[in-house]
This record gives sequence, C-alpha cells and structure tokens, in this order.
Amino acid sequence: MKTLYRIWQNAVGEWTDAIRSRRALVLLLLYLASAACCMYGTISILGRMEAELAQVLQLPESEKTGVVSATLWKSKPFQRMVRAGVRNDLVYNDIAGRHPAELVYAWFAFFCAPLLVVLVAGNRVSDDLRSGAVRYSIVRCTRAEWSLGKYFGQATMIACALAVSAVGAWIVAVCRLSGVGAFELLPAMFGWGLRAWIYSLAWLGIALGLSHVCRSGSRATSLGIFAVVLLAILPPLLRKSVEWTGCAWLENFDLLAPASAKDYLWRRGCAPLAAALCQLGTLGFASLALGYAVFRRRDA
Amino acid sequence: MSGVALATRGLVKRYGRRNALDGFTVSVPRGVIMGLVGRNGAGKTTWMMSVAGLLRPTAGEIDLLGRGPFDAAVHAGRVAILPQDSELPLEATPAELLYRYGRLQGLSAAAARKSARDMLAAVNLGDRAGSRIRALSHGMRKRVMLAQCFLGEPELVLLDEPLNGLDPAEQDRMRRFLRARRGRQTIVISSHNLNDIELLCTHVTFVEKGRVVRTSPLTSLTQAAGRVEYVLAEQPADWDAFLAELAAALPGADFARAAGTDASMPAGGAVLACSFDASAVGVADVNRKVLPVLLARAALHAVSPGQSLEQAFLDASGRTSSTSTGIA
Repeated sequence: MKTLYRIWQNAVGEWTDAIRSRRALVLLLLYLASAACCMYGTISILGRMEAELAQVLQLPESEKTGVVSATLWKSKPFQRMVRAGVRNDLVYNDIAGRHPAELVYAWFAFFCAPLLVVLVAGNRVSDDLRSGAVRYSIVRCTRAEWSLGKYFGQATMIACALAVSAVGAWIVAVCRLSGVGAFELLPAMFGWGLRAWIYSLAWLGIALGLSHVCRSGSRATSLGIFAVVLLAILPPLLRKSVEWTGCAWLENFDLLAPASAKDYLWRRGCAPLAAALCQLGTLGFASLALGYAVFRRRDA
Repeated sequence: MSGVALATRGLVKRYGRRNALDGFTVSVPRGVIMGLVGRNGAGKTTWMMSVAGLLRPTAGEIDLLGRGPFDAAVHAGRVAILPQDSELPLEATPAELLYRYGRLQGLSAAAARKSARDMLAAVNLGDRAGSRIRALSHGMRKRVMLAQCFLGEPELVLLDEPLNGLDPAEQDRMRRFLRARRGRQTIVISSHNLNDIELLCTHVTFVEKGRVVRTSPLTSLTQAAGRVEYVLAEQPADWDAFLAELAAALPGADFARAAGTDASMPAGGAVLACSFDASAVGVADVNRKVLPVLLARAALHAVSPGQSLEQAFLDASGRTSSTSTGIA
C-alpha cells in the first residue's frame, strides 16, 4: 500500500508541475488543435471533392459536406477499395459500418500519438536528472516508485489530452458534416480516444525509458523521435527481410513495434482491445523497465 | 542518544581511473554535529551522496542508523540530505513542495502540512510559502532546500555547504537553528568555511584525497596542541617585562607576541600566544595562572583556547599555514 501511495504522490507531483508550468495546458491545446484541424482539413477536402462531383454529375450541391461521401462510403466499389487497403478482413468488417468521421479521428489519434507523446513526455525524467531535482524525491521513495509515478502521471495527462481532442474533433464533425448523429458519434470518438491512449502507453514507455538513460532533455527527445521513425519503418523492413531471406521467424520482431497492435485496436469488442492492452502495456513497461534498469544502477 | 548513527568502512568511489573516495572510513556518533573539512575535490560531496544512496559506491560498506546502506523503503523520512548543485522543481511553491515531500516520506497530511509550515517559518520564508520556486532568489531557494532536510525531524541530516549563498543575517539564523538541534538529531555538515564548522560542530573529520586523515571531537582537536591565544585590547607598555612576568607565573610555558588573526581585535590591540605542554597542564590551569598577571598589565579583549581549526587542518594535511580563514 505504501508503494502505491508513493507512486500516487509522485504522479500528483507530475500533474502539479504540469499544471503550474502550463505544460498540461499546452498538451491539451496541442491535442485539441491537431484533432480539430485534422478533422476540419479532412472535411474541407471531402467538401471540395463532393462539390466537384456534384458539378460533374450536374447534381444540386448540398449545404453540408458528407452526403455524397456517406453514399460513396457505402458503395460496393469503395468498400472493395477499403478492404484492399486494410488487408485484414476482420478489421474491414469492424470498420465498414462506422461513420467516416470516427475513422478520420481514429487515424489522427493513432498517427499523431507517438510524436506527441515523445515531444511532451520525452524529457520528463532526463530533465530531473540534469537539474538534480530527482535527488529530493529518491531519498524519500524508491527509484522504482519515482519512475512509475512519472509514467502514470504522464499516462493520465495523455488520457485527458486525448479526451479533449476527441471532443474537439466531434464538435468540428457535428458542425460541418451532414448526417452525423451527434450523441452517437461522441461515445464512438471517446472509444477511439481510449484506443489511442492504449496505443500511447507503449510509446510513453519507450519515451520515458529513453529519458531514463539521458541527462539531457533535448537528447532524450531526439532519441525518442529516432525511435518513432525506426519503429515505423521496422515492420516493412521485416517484411522485405522475410521476402529476401526466407526466414519467416524474422517477422516475429514485428511485435517490437507498437504499430503491430493496431489491427487489434481498429476492431470492435473487448477481446481485441484486451489483446492490444496486453501487447502494448507489456511493450511500454518493458521499455520503461529497460530504462529503469540503467537508472537504478547509475548515479543520480 | 547513544551509539553510531552512520558508519562507512573502506568506501571507494571510482570515476574512470580516479578514486574520488579511496577507503573512506568514519563513524558518526548519534546526536553530534559532525563537520567535514577538506579542500575541493577531497571527496566530501561524493561521500555524502554515496551515504544517501544517490551515488553508487564502487566498494566498501555503509551502515545507516544500524540498518545497512541506504534503502528508501527503510530510511525514507529518517535520513535527509541537502545535495549540492541540485535545483528544486521550479514551478512548485515552497509550501506545496514541502508538503509533497513530507507526504512522500510517510507523514500524515496534517503532520506534513504542519511540518512544512514550521520549517518555512524556521528558515524565515513563511511569507513566501505561496511563491513559485522560480520566483525566489538564490538564497531563498537555498533556504527551502534546507527546510526540506528537516521535515519530520529525520534522525540523520547530511548538509553539503548549507550556508553558502545566504546573507549574513540568514547565516546567523541558520547557525542558531542548527545549533539548537545538537543532541536531538545527527547532522553532518560539509563546509569550506572553518569558522562555521567551529561555531556549529561538536566533531570534525578532516578529509584528504578521498580518505579520512583525522576525526575527533572539536575541542580535543583545537585544544590538544597546548596553546591559548589572548587578544589584548591594548598593547602593554613594556613587552619584554610583560613576557618575563608571565613566564615566571607559568614556568615551562612559552609566551610570545603572535600575528593578529582575530578579525574582532580592536585597533591598537595585540595577540599574546601561550604554548604549553598539554599533557602536563590544562587550559583551565593556564588561565588561572596567567590571567591575574595579564589583567594587571593589559586590558583583555578575548581568550581563544587551543589552536585554530585551520591550523589543525593544515597540520593534519601536512601543509603550512596561510593567512586566509577558509580553505581554497
């Protein structure tokens, strides 16, 4: 119980610092603005495409975007295109019935989460190591409690930021898209926010793990960005390697990339979500544990 | 209080090929204020950080409060440190930071709040409790750092250069604050300011090249040399006759006019040094025989029994005296 309490106290410290330094505000605004802009931009492109299409087909233009898109989305040729793009029938079946706005937000959340996590949380440990602020805490709690407090503190802030971004994207979608059931879309958006949060847990572990081994915040952030790029190109590289070498086991290394759990996250139901949580949680904690192993043995 | 609060045996800390600590062995009795004296790079900070678990020693043993080396699960709240060159979280306020630290080390909410308030008052920061650390001056931040060391009355407090950066008034306040803790807490102070060490400490440890060269109670260190200095408010009319009269009062002792190093010596005053065999006669006996003669001939300003701590340090580290009162 004492351990949990100390982890909690460290997490509270993390929130207090974030709120006072306005880092939390920046984080919320960053997520909100990115989600709203992404949704707005996507709808604008859709609107332009629909206007062009209406002109070509000599149809009356609708005031709100989405009427044509919704029809298009349900059309068989488009669905065939989506199925080919997704390359996973289970995922395709689960996303086929969803509103496009949900998928736009989901795409944004999954795409931006790694970079935002690395940019916001990447220096949280290394900055304290550099300034020496960590010394005041680790004579009062164990290094593990301190590290876990940082992790959970950041994880909670990212959850809040994703919830705010979901609301932002929802507002833009409701205002600019036709045929949107406002009260049906909001829970769905939060659902995608939750999935993106689970996805972020792995990236947070990686970012904080790297932060534990650096004494410079900028170096930790740079390493984090490098890790994002490396892990993004890992799956295609592995696929190519398997093609070239014929060693099928190489593909197992795919599990090291958080993106490998995305198929679970795109699907409906609790079972895939639980599977994703297990894989991404393990990946996140393993990365954090590796960084912590270095921190535990090093001078503070 | 009895027993040993802190003991290190053969402590070694290696950085590459250089040993910052090279077999550091010392024992700190409970309830004392121990001063660590040594020149820059002697290993004082490294030793303190190793004791508090912030540095990982290469070899050696540490016993903190009889419970082995530092383990936060065991020692949290019982051991505190004022580390050198460590910033506090800049966005927090002193009140909330001390409260958070108090809670972290196991104090109840009410106790943490009270302890934070008391400590801020003790370091004269009660009126700045709600300001952010970022907005505080260097000296104020130092006082917050000092305050966090005494939250919840830890049994052992390690202070690295505690008075550096404080103005004279705050230095004096902190000296009184620390002196008041003699016997209640075990405090280890590392400082280059030997005047502070003499004013605060009951015990002194000299450190040189990562090793302890001497450790003992302050009084035995400064008085063992068999020397008393008398600061005279005015010069006697005839020095030779004066010295002869003193020699007659205390046979076997040497009396000489010394170079004045006492900053409080009045203008026109002088310092008379009396050297004697400390194994044969004590300081009290010397004073009993010398003072009547001295007072008949000159006005006495102050008596300084024994040698200065600086001289003792220089003797212990095998170097000659310098005119400064600090160690470079």
